[in-house]
Amino acid sequence: MHTEHKVDDPPTMHDVDSPGAMFLVFLVVLGLAVANILLATTGLGKLALPVQLGIASVQAVLVAYYWMHMRRGDQVVTLSALSSLFFVFIFYVLVLSDVLTRWRIAM
Amino acid sequence: MSIIVADEPRVGPVPPEPAPLKTNYLNARSGILSWLLTVDHKRIGILYLVSLTAFFVVGGLAAGLVRINLLSPTGAIMTEDQYNRMFTAHGVVMLFLFLIPSIPAVFGNFFVPMMIGAKDLAFPKLNLASWYVYMIGAGFMVWSVLAGGIDTGWTLYPPYSSRYSQSNVFPGAFGAFITGFSSIMTGLNIMVTVHKMRCPGMTWGRLPLFIWAMYATSFIQLLGTPVVAITLTLLCVERLAGIGIFDPAIGGDPVLYQHLFWFYSHPAVYIMIVPGMGVISETITCFSRKNIFGYKAVAWSSVGIAVVGFLVWAHHMFVAGISYYSAILFSFLTMLVAVPSAIKVFNWTATLYRGSITFQAPMLFTLAFLVLFTVGGVTGLFLATLGTDIHLHDTYFVVAHFHFVMVGGMVLAYLAALHYWWPKMTGRMYSDFWSRASATIIFVGFFFTFVPQFVLGYHGMPRRYPNYPAEFQVYNVLSTAGASILGFGYLLPGFYLTLSLFFGDKATANPWSATGLEWQTPSPPSTFNFDRTPVVVCGPYEYAIGVDQLGRGLPEPPGPGSADDPASHHGPTGPAGPMHKETHVVG
Ligand code: HEM
Ligand SMILES: [Cu+2]
Repeated sequence: MHTEHKVDDPPTMHDVDSPGAMFLVFLVVLGLAVANILLATTGLGKLALPVQLGIASVQAVLVAYYWMHMRRGDQVVTLSALSSLFFVFIFYVLVLSDVLTRWRIAM
Repeated sequence: MSIIVADEPRVGPVPPEPAPLKTNYLNARSGILSWLLTVDHKRIGILYLVSLTAFFVVGGLAAGLVRINLLSPTGAIMTEDQYNRMFTAHGVVMLFLFLIPSIPAVFGNFFVPMMIGAKDLAFPKLNLASWYVYMIGAGFMVWSVLAGGIDTGWTLYPPYSSRYSQSNVFPGAFGAFITGFSSIMTGLNIMVTVHKMRCPGMTWGRLPLFIWAMYATSFIQLLGTPVVAITLTLLCVERLAGIGIFDPAIGGDPVLYQHLFWFYSHPAVYIMIVPGMGVISETITCFSRKNIFGYKAVAWSSVGIAVVGFLVWAHHMFVAGISYYSAILFSFLTMLVAVPSAIKVFNWTATLYRGSITFQAPMLFTLAFLVLFTVGGVTGLFLATLGTDIHLHDTYFVVAHFHFVMVGGMVLAYLAALHYWWPKMTGRMYSDFWSRASATIIFVGFFFTFVPQFVLGYHGMPRRYPNYPAEFQVYNVLSTAGASILGFGYLLPGFYLTLSLFFGDKATANPWSATGLEWQTPSPPSTFNFDRTPVVVCGPYEYAIGVDQLGRGLPEPPGPGSADDPASHHGPTGPAGPMHKETHVVG
């Protein structure tokens, strides 16, 4: 049974996470970590980077969505969370401005 | 609803002096547990004040020993290894345990709720937790120092720190990691409080500039600190488990560490200075009896610094092997960040123009800040210039630059805040004479200490070296002599402020005749700050009109009070005087 629930309304049982669900998410995240470690020993070669970063991203999304309660966040919360990705993007762009041009030989 | 305060000089009826409270936040409960378990933002501010003062003394002693050692070209009192550990201890303690928390943790905690008319911060328990987390982190750092110290410098550059140093890098780095969380907690608390707990009428355009500065600071704390936490974690992983992240010998990239480290640590210098800038906006208006010049510019430049401050970090890495293209880019971006800082300095100066300036201790510290911070900022531009920095990097010039901004700027702003708000926090007035003396001595001592270091650095004396050629000795001796004057200046407040607690005159509710809400409640305030929720009717600095933020008349400012006293209401340029100041109403 699902009723419409606004952000400003007082909390109801509906807002409380069940320990079981949280624990399940925890187990999944742990499982993925183990998978990542095991994969690291198998020598995926070229695939290693995308696959392992992909797994790590799934872990991060799980944590954000369930543990950080993003699934109940209103739009402002979602926007703030996405802006943190933009912030990481700045870091990458400016670091790449160094790394990608570092080896060019000066004329 | 908005009540318009007429843009014409007038002196409203001055509210009667509130009777001092029988129970205030200090005596509401007693016993050590009432402090250790308190959730009152004011008491937590005091807890921080006491702990920060202790660490300031520790860091100061280390600095003294460093300076004494530099009296002789071959090192006067320490071995070279001890010297490395000493300047690292100085840097780590001063930065992580004093400057980064300083104003947000003490005055932010204490005054953000009071200045926006709230009962407490949004998360009082989180606030207490932040103090405990800070103390635990500090404990780790003390452990690392007691166990023999760290010899890497506060920047902890690998691969030396992660693979080769025999010193106590792990507890130190772990301590910094932990105190970072306390910084995040404080930032989060202040940000939510400013968003959610402003009293009626306290619009964004009427916020005191200290609040804007604290808001911008929390933004940096929230975004930046997690990055350094991860960086330090990676460092510890490499050190403890030998996993190659930064050491090229095992497949790492040492420049990556510097990128990550400075991505936090450059913004961190703004975590240190921006709150100080907020304090200066409060004191400079109060002691020149004028509205701030360019409220919006000062407010938005805080936010501008917070944003642009994240784009400039690699100016610390110009000679670390980053690409030329990137170095040019960062040199340009660094110059951009000086713009908002300069906007502030110009606006403060314009605020002084035609003000009715009086020279109580908070104002002396403020004026000293203006001079010293400007020197620090401008020498920052020398360093931002790529070509010049190749000569000046890692010399005493850099040391002088950052001490001008951090000590001349931030520590003086901290002292200005302490002297400005002390009567509110403790209910006591301190000695006018001694406080002015201390401000003057600090200012003079500061110049003697750090101006010679510019010369030394320009002539090529590297930083972090215990030895130097004999011809540099005169400058080093000058600098050490200055440091002892400076140290004496810092000791004075320890005495007269402590004495004021016992023998000082009782402070009135609003001893400086200031406009902010924090002054519209008895000194010291009650546990819940206000007996009813205040309603704000105007902007924060209507000194020229002579009303506080509640729209009531201001009491007579301190001073002789005669008609030729520039600060008096009835003085020539006072709100009721014949040549009253022009103003435009903010908010
Ligand atoms: C006004 C704008 C500023 C500019 C353009 C600027 C620029 C610079 C540059 C280019 C360096 C690197 C020098 C080198 O290592 O060769 C530097 C170092 C430093 N600056 Fe600034 N700075 C500014 C403001 C500040 C402020 C406000 C603070 C602190 C409150 C600060 C603290 C530091 C510190 C601590 C270092 C040295 C870090 C280390 O290597 O240990 N600076 N600054
Ligand atoms: Cu920097």
